[in-house]
Amino acid sequence: MASDEFHQAALEHLDALYNFAMYLTRNPPEADDLVQETYLRAFRFSHRFQPGTHLRAWLFQILRNTFLTFYRLRERESALAEDGVPAWDAPMFHDAPEESSGAVEAHTDLERALRRLPEEFRTVLLLAEVEGMALEDVARVLACPVGTVKSRIFRAKERLRGLLRDYTKE
Amino acid sequence: MSNHSPESDDALGARLRTELRRYAAPAYLRGSIGQTAEPPRARPSWLAPTLAAAATALVLVLASIPFLPRILPADPTERLVRSVVAEHTRALMWGARRPEVVPTALPWLTQESGIGLRKFFVGDDRLVFVGAEPVYLEGRRGMALYYRDGDGHLVNYTVLPWPGLPLPESRRVQIENRWRPALMNDSGFSAWVWRQGDLACFIVSDMVSESDLERFKDYFVRLRLATEPVPAN
Repeated sequence: MASDEFHQAALEHLDALYNFAMYLTRNPPEADDLVQETYLRAFRFSHRFQPGTHLRAWLFQILRNTFLTFYRLRERESALAEDGVPAWDAPMFHDAPEESSGAVEAHTDLERALRRLPEEFRTVLLLAEVEGMALEDVARVLACPVGTVKSRIFRAKERLRGLLRDYTKE
Repeated sequence: MSNHSPESDDALGARLRTELRRYAAPAYLRGSIGQTAEPPRARPSWLAPTLAAAATALVLVLASIPFLPRILPADPTERLVRSVVAEHTRALMWGARRPEVVPTALPWLTQESGIGLRKFFVGDDRLVFVGAEPVYLEGRRGMALYYRDGDGHLVNYTVLPWPGLPLPESRRVQIENRWRPALMNDSGFSAWVWRQGDLACFIVSDMVSESDLERFKDYFVRLRLATEPVPAN
């Protein structure tokens, strides 16, 4: 694919990538950074993209891997971890401390519940249900077999249902 | 499991698709990524002889560089750092124009600078608070707080409203797995630069050696933890 063509095709997915980044970081400046970094990497390594494969899945894969790179950095900080599950909404890209007022608030129980899911559950729901990706593409983004994706979707929904029930009782 | 109840897999999937807000990429992000994607223009045929002539001219220009006025950097962050450093140099040579002792001066300072302080670093055993004053840099009102350390280094904390100030990725430094400010240099001064919401924040000092930078990092942590600027309404 020619460079121009590649850039144009990649930019068509900007809104979807930004939406995904917002749900991962919950913080607009961090989502900006994450998406910018994603495109920088995609453009830099565009020669590695195999024409004919799914560009959208490739971009989402880069975004998620970039997110996790910084996320794992934070994960080592024990103060942010509880029961082995890191506080996912702690900022990982730069300067905002966790009490930062820059974070976007959840408006609905569904958003609140989604935020409380571990990253791999949240991601699988965002990709499969919100973005409507095929299971094969989701598997590519997550670098795992399709069977694992199916089971994660099932477990993610179970967990989400439980959280939503809790909110209803409250 | 039945897929017909209100909380069935299908219903939950539909809720996720319809009830979750969708965030569209802001225009400035689209613009900046679009610029990154722009391919370099093809080199016109007349460029080679022109370049040769330019190279000759360059030799002459190089000889006159000491006499040329300083050129402003094109990068907005570098330009801004230069302005903050210039302001720091002024304070270093002439002192603050109207140093005020916070908190008594806070309402006045907030009114003049357009920046409020939810909390601020009042100084400790390493850094002594010297004063605060409104500043006007690159056409924007902001606020500067001045501190002095035990060795006499003046440390300047400046805040300006600057939404989306780009930070050069290559300059960013991980501090305590918590922050990633950019470390910039200009005219023999070091500057930490970072974004806090819609504000651009800077800490400037003349600490440039390796051992000084460790201390400068420590000053960043002290100031960053204890100071929370917000745009005043």
